[in-house]
Amino acid sequence: MDKDHLFHDEQTGVPTLLAALDELRHQIVERGELLVLYFNFRRYSKIEEIYGWEKLDEVLTTTASAMRAHLAGTPLANAALIVPFTGDDDFMVLHVPPPATVAMTETQLTELVTNLQESVSAEIEAEHGDEIAALFDIYVGRTHVVVDPKIRLERMIYRGIRDAMAAAMSVEARERARKISDLRESIRTRGIYIEFHPIIVAATGEIFGYEALARGVMRSMRSPEVMFEIAAQANLLWELSRLCRERAIEEMPTRLNDEALLFLNIDPHDFADPEFTPGALRVPDPRRVVIEITERTAIKDYPKFRNQLSAFREAGFRFAVDDAGSGYAGLGSIANLEPDFIKLDISLINCIDENFIKQNLVETMVRFANDQGAQVIAEGVENEDEFETVKSLGVHFIQGFYLHLGRAMPLSSRSAATTA
Amino acid sequence: MPDQERPRVLVVDDNHDNADIIREYLTSLDYPVAVAYDGEEALRLFEEQRPPIVLLDVMMPGRDGWEVCREMKQHAEHGRSVRVIMVTALHDWVDKRQAIQSGADDFIEKPFELAKLGEAVQRNVRRLPAHS
Repeated sequence: MDKDHLFHDEQTGVPTLLAALDELRHQIVERGELLVLYFNFRRYSKIEEIYGWEKLDEVLTTTASAMRAHLAGTPLANAALIVPFTGDDDFMVLHVPPPATVAMTETQLTELVTNLQESVSAEIEAEHGDEIAALFDIYVGRTHVVVDPKIRLERMIYRGIRDAMAAAMSVEARERARKISDLRESIRTRGIYIEFHPIIVAATGEIFGYEALARGVMRSMRSPEVMFEIAAQANLLWELSRLCRERAIEEMPTRLNDEALLFLNIDPHDFADPEFTPGALRVPDPRRVVIEITERTAIKDYPKFRNQLSAFREAGFRFAVDDAGSGYAGLGSIANLEPDFIKLDISLINCIDENFIKQNLVETMVRFANDQGAQVIAEGVENEDEFETVKSLGVHFIQGFYLHLGRAMPLSSRSAATTA
Repeated sequence: MPDQERPRVLVVDDNHDNADIIREYLTSLDYPVAVAYDGEEALRLFEEQRPPIVLLDVMMPGRDGWEVCREMKQHAEHGRSVRVIMVTALHDWVDKRQAIQSGADDFIEKPFELAKLGEAVQRNVRRLPAHS
């Protein structure tokens, strides 16, 4: 059987370690040294789970071509860009300095790596947008393998690769510590701001409400996913959540008109926070606040969770199940929460105009919601085709980048705010 | 689509009778049809002939339809352009979710009516870049 496909990653066209070693062996022995750079790509909040594996494939293809393009203009132009295994998402660069050249100094290498990281990040941002780019970090570790004739070449190289990988991991650990300290500083100085993303009535285009999305003022904290993941690692979830809630509610009077609803993301962990009570949320009118709970977090103890919800419900707050349809939970678990709104997972909306199964699922959800007395919000609508498709499927409200292009209209009558 | 050449359809079903019925029907609609009776053969024909439309049975011995679909959709050159229609009873939400995660574009319920199958093929043909 043809095994060629085992030596090259089909998606990126990058060869695997085994294929590259075969070609490099002679040069390594002759030169007596090898530089190994290991690129560890850290992805926050499971990018594949949010956008699907297709998206990560695309991002990796961009990464590979950006790395090739950047390396072409450096002393590492002839280095081999490889993947450890086919389908893997880490990359390595193996470089044997050409004969009669001097190896790069540590300072030159550090500068090269920094520039490479910046150029790959910029390319990911240009191709896939800043939301995706903010979910990516690149950590690079490096080692110099000096050939020792007493030791078998392969083993030396494999050890070198493991050392470079460990170095990349330790860079990651250092960066994480820095991010935790950035987060503490952000919480101490209340250094976050709120973006209000409009949600419109599908039929009329009028603004129905806004989802509050918190971002850190510091560059390392600009992605909410990163901020909350770091908060979970540092045991600062409650503190961060409290700050985000306070900031969003504080800005209600100035940023929202009198009728628009505020959609507020609440982590299921927040329900264990003694300071998270209906009274502690200082809102002018609880009926204007919709608490969003994500389906992504498994809720094991439904009866208990529903009791906690009921105190908020009695005070007038409403509920939305966020990311609905993202997991394998099915419709039963959504019904269990008795939501007022069901926000469809972004993966169901992405390219929905092209995919008839997604259309069928959304239609099912709309029917289900109508039976349950709930209303459906399509999130992540990015273009006109998606917009028209979800509208034709009977979705009640629409949210997404498409609306940020000036298509949302201010609410002009009181009636829309009271339809839910 | 009277003016355009009809795209090739790859029919994959381990049940020879089913596969033959579908082949005959699509041939009567002027589609060029290739048939594979298992996943391995399907992937081989896919590589050789690059059909823009694939009708894929899910329950097959060896590599099932989900696995075959995923592999086709992950194909470096042809994965983005092929449209895969699963031929299966996708009963509930979870089944359909799985279909999306395998990269499938459409499904038709089993047991199927030939006319519905024809409609499904047509609506996917309309989504092919050259036919839109």
